[in-house]
Amino acid sequence: MPITRRQVLKGTAAGAATLATGVFRPAIAASEPIRIGYLPALTGPSSSTGIGINRGTVLAVEEINAAGGINGRQIELIVRDTQSDPTKAVNAATELTRRHKAHVIWGPLNSGEALAATPLIARDGVPQIHPCWVDALTDVKKYPLAFRNAPTSRQIGGAANQYVVQILKLKKVAVVSDTTGYGTASVDTYVPMLKALGADVVYQGNVEANNPDLKPDMLRMQAAGAQVIMPWSVNAGFLSRIINTRAEMNWDIPIVGQTTLGSGQTKALLKKPEYWDKVYSNNFRNCSYNAAGALPPRTVEFVDRLRKAKIEMSDTLLWWIAMGYDGPRMIADAIKAAGSEPEQIAGYWNKVSAWPGVYGTITWTPDLHDGFQNSEIIMCQANSLQDGAFKLAPGYVG
Amino acid sequence: MIESIVSYGLALGAVYALIGITYNVMFAASRVFSFSAGAVGMLGGVFGALFIDRLGMPVVLGFLAVLAVGALIGIVTEIVTVRPVLKSLEQHLYVLSTLAFALMIQQLVAIEWSTEPQPFPRVLPFGPGIFDQQFWLPMLACGSTILGLELLYRHTLVGRAFLAISEDNYAARALGLPERELRLASFALAGAIGALAGFTGGEMMLAYFGNGPLLNFYGFVPVALGGMGSNRGAVAGGLALGLFQQSANFLVGGVFASVAVFVVFILVLLIRPEGLAGAAAARRV
Repeated sequence: MPITRRQVLKGTAAGAATLATGVFRPAIAASEPIRIGYLPALTGPSSSTGIGINRGTVLAVEEINAAGGINGRQIELIVRDTQSDPTKAVNAATELTRRHKAHVIWGPLNSGEALAATPLIARDGVPQIHPCWVDALTDVKKYPLAFRNAPTSRQIGGAANQYVVQILKLKKVAVVSDTTGYGTASVDTYVPMLKALGADVVYQGNVEANNPDLKPDMLRMQAAGAQVIMPWSVNAGFLSRIINTRAEMNWDIPIVGQTTLGSGQTKALLKKPEYWDKVYSNNFRNCSYNAAGALPPRTVEFVDRLRKAKIEMSDTLLWWIAMGYDGPRMIADAIKAAGSEPEQIAGYWNKVSAWPGVYGTITWTPDLHDGFQNSEIIMCQANSLQDGAFKLAPGYVG
Repeated sequence: MIESIVSYGLALGAVYALIGITYNVMFAASRVFSFSAGAVGMLGGVFGALFIDRLGMPVVLGFLAVLAVGALIGIVTEIVTVRPVLKSLEQHLYVLSTLAFALMIQQLVAIEWSTEPQPFPRVLPFGPGIFDQQFWLPMLACGSTILGLELLYRHTLVGRAFLAISEDNYAARALGLPERELRLASFALAGAIGALAGFTGGEMMLAYFGNGPLLNFYGFVPVALGGMGSNRGAVAGGLALGLFQQSANFLVGGVFASVAVFVVFILVLLIRPEGLAGAAAARRV
């Protein structure tokens, strides 16, 4: 019997309809790879963080795939370098959610890019984990599928405040920042928190980061009787000038604040290495050496694995690598236990309790997608960096 | 307190004055305010750190290389951003072209160098204290530059040719002076002076890509205060600005110090729009 053109068209239409209705979808879905859309800044100004996190992320994906994948499905890591540019992060996020139909987004890895990209990822209904600190980046109503596996800015400031007031037992505090949005917002947020802890904020100010002479403001702090300086800035020039000026004034008080205080950039701008003494920067308990010089057992095992994989640690920070390692593992655990649909992944994460990451122990609830534990945010000795990790600041137990 | 006001104030003021002179030298040759002056200053610090700290050049060689880079940037500024818009000077297109060029330089430095401030090497083994080289080096550079320019403009034929084209470039051309080459040479000289400002102020301000806009603004203030085209006025304005800024840092502190500088700047311009040392321009009626 000859086949007519009408029959061919009917058959094609029926086939297309069958595919569209999804009769064969489960079979395809069960074998297709899990697509993780990954948005690191591998180049540009924020790339030092991105490169560190990337080492952990790549290792985690390689390990999961080598062990057979997630329920037999391999992870396909679709990487888009945001080049530290929020505009590129937005474009890349849209490409990953719409064109590549990513099951999950891991990133962006810095707050500027996440502020731009998170609303779009939420709009496309794709689950997301990011490690960015800006408080507004999780909101269970606006972004019900966005989860944070890192502390918030309030937690970071809170840890520094607690260290000053409750461990160092210092009450007269000088809080200073540069004039950037981050700096001024930090001072505005952390000063009331300090006062609530019973501290007396004797100096509060914002100074231009480029100002080469900070002595006038430091003299004001000294005259006000400050016992500790808490600078909030990511500008290594500004922070190093505070440290240098403190030494030149022969003013022996601690400086307690943001992680940049312990960065290599800050160190490079110090006039003498010993000026870095009594400077304590934010860090994370799981990635810090205790008084005996040992890392926690979970982290020791992780470091051994990094060494076996020949992953360099000396030119980056251990907590960046650990954070990068935890992201894909949290995604894999969710898909393994619940499935790869957005609501299945988010449903699993909403019930995660004390998930044992290398970077942090994470607990999420339907009402709170900030999972990092306050107890795991600590201060460390800024001048103690060794193989990417710092020593706990004096006063901590364990 | 007085020590700090004087040492930092005069040193910063000298850097501002040198950037002001950079503006003036470019302006004299072209009637154009090139807003790449601050960017050249920033490059003086960045290339100083690159040549001496990173590439290990001897200080003298590194210093000369920095001046050469500054001169080269000055020449490129003239060719790329000034020459094409000279015919339509009244439309002030040079504001856009020179600012765009400065932004390009800044972004390139951010990408290729660093967005973080980098240390600047100690050039001479003097200091610390108020006699630290970071304070007197910019002052020495400023004094030498103004002296050198006076000698150049008043005692050499080339200097007089510079003055001729700045007074009336049409008449100068009619007399057979090579206007284009002289303008190019002026921009090279201005670039070298800008780089000198950044180099000698490098230890104070660090090798930082963000210094460009700051120097652009604070370098323009002495020009406006001292009168456009007046190098002596720029030096007086620059030193006064540095001392005032540092005094404001001590007296009011924080961001209010910058506000105080802006307030005085606006007040001076309201009272004497031609600047403290400038003369009101005559207008044909």
